[in-house]
Amino acid sequence: MLTTISKREETRVEKGPFEIHRVPRLEAPYLIVSWRVNDPGDVGSQVTDFLIEKLGGQEIAEIKPLGFFMFGGVRFKGDLVQVPEGKFWVCEKQSLLIFRSDEPAFEHHTFLNLILDFAESHCHAKEFYTVNGAISSIPHSHSRRLLTVFNQSEFKTSLSEYGLEGMSWEGPPAISSYLLWVAKRREIPGVSLWPEIPFYLAAVQDAEAAKRVLSFLNHRFNLALDLGRFEIGAMVQNERIAQLRRENAETDQMVHRLENGESLNEEEQLKLTRDIYDVLKKEN
Amino acid sequence: MGIQFYQRPMLDHPIMIVGWPGIGNIGIIAINTLKDILKAEEFGEIESWDFFYPRRVSIQEGMLAGLEFPTNKFYFCRPKKTDVVFFIGEEQPSEGERMYARGEKAYRMANLVLDAAVELGCQRVYTSGACVSMVHHQMKPRVVAVTSTERLREEIQGYLNTILMSELAGRGEGEGTITGLNGLLLAVAKKRGLEGLCLMGEIPDWLSGALLPYPKASKSVLEVFGGILGVDIDLSILEKLEKQIEEMIEGFYAKFPPETKEEYDQRKLVSQATSGTITVQAQIYVDDHFKKGGDEGGERPV
Repeated sequence: MLTTISKREETRVEKGPFEIHRVPRLEAPYLIVSWRVNDPGDVGSQVTDFLIEKLGGQEIAEIKPLGFFMFGGVRFKGDLVQVPEGKFWVCEKQSLLIFRSDEPAFEHHTFLNLILDFAESHCHAKEFYTVNGAISSIPHSHSRRLLTVFNQSEFKTSLSEYGLEGMSWEGPPAISSYLLWVAKRREIPGVSLWPEIPFYLAAVQDAEAAKRVLSFLNHRFNLALDLGRFEIGAMVQNERIAQLRRENAETDQMVHRLENGESLNEEEQLKLTRDIYDVLKKEN
Repeated sequence: MGIQFYQRPMLDHPIMIVGWPGIGNIGIIAINTLKDILKAEEFGEIESWDFFYPRRVSIQEGMLAGLEFPTNKFYFCRPKKTDVVFFIGEEQPSEGERMYARGEKAYRMANLVLDAAVELGCQRVYTSGACVSMVHHQMKPRVVAVTSTERLREEIQGYLNTILMSELAGRGEGEGTITGLNGLLLAVAKKRGLEGLCLMGEIPDWLSGALLPYPKASKSVLEVFGGILGVDIDLSILEKLEKQIEEMIEGFYAKFPPETKEEYDQRKLVSQATSGTITVQAQIYVDDHFKKGGDEGGERPV
């Protein structure tokens, strides 16, 4: 009996730890990495989703998930089941390779090396960028700095014209820092991008922070993307917060204190986060 | 993934002494202290990244300065009686959130340690840990041994302040489980034809979940290692830590309700060889006053 298979299934190749749909012809592309979990302000997801949508990104490969992710149940978000995965997309015209993934639960070192294996061996990527969010005590009304961490000083110097600011931090590492370290050992230049996210916007989409990253990528790769969607998103969000401030003197006072460079205690931070989250989520 | 030796020490029939963290950190404190007393020299490590997520990153002015993993290091020294290789792991590799090693990674780690042991000519490995028992905290903890061969069971009789697990009250025929790598290493060693012993310092049952070090038992283990290696061990090195911990423990003890204290103090009067279990009343008190570690661990009867 003959079995009909789709065009896509015909071209799918199982190759070791990868499931490769096709290998693109790219000349020294740039790799952009985002993580779907632990993504304050949804910055990583917003940025890579937008790039894939606007640049006509096509899915080309996946790291086989078994052994890396927890399969004891399922996560869901916005009522939708989320399957843990790590997928590569390509935007050929712009020579961009995008890796959008959940953070692995196991075998982090192997997983991170696989990202670089595919990018380097199959696609000849020359440098990479990870997109993250740095939770900060700045208010939403202040401009966001784009903080960075580089793994090679030459690479840092080469991007000095973009108005990036260096981060300083000692503590538990994010997975992007781990990726930078793995890449450094392989002599692959990389940078992680950390736009500041007001702490009370960490649990919602922070359009302003996503816009800050996309503006940088726009300049860096001459993408000529219209970021109006994010400008409008940020304006709407700011107006909702402004409305809340008009209605709620306590909220207004707390944001005002942040605007004056003062800090809030833990209880106040929780209250402000809850109040703003309720307003933004409800109106969504 | 693997072992990295920075140098190859020439050793004559060395023994290997291995330590990982566990209940009261009894074993690792003893072994680390012994390693320092003997001025053992670091000569290799097991690469960490396949076993552990890094625990600390250092970022300075936009540059990744370093990433720190739990270490797994080899040391050697040549005291009078026998050459010694130490292996000290700062963490037990675990799958998921567990504190004590289990599963494939633990098995791989145990085999890597023993690969090094075999390569260096070791025929015997010692591990060390905690034995949760009915000992009173004001009494000197004994060292409880489990061995891989009958011959070693005989040898244990000559060790200072040491008994076999079967001689401990309530352990029946010496049955139980040594959780984590301090136990697993013995199993893998036996499978690979190496002799193995685990020397466990007693810790009172009510302190086993307290997430406190218990240096009093580490001292007992150190004394035994001193005898094995034929070296004098200055136990005063642990006195400062022991005093601090004892003050805390005495503080908890002072708050025991009188009837609980009276019941608990019976442990000082009866022979430690007498079987017994902690009473419901005392256990409730203990559970109320200490956070458990969130995982089973250490050495417990079946």
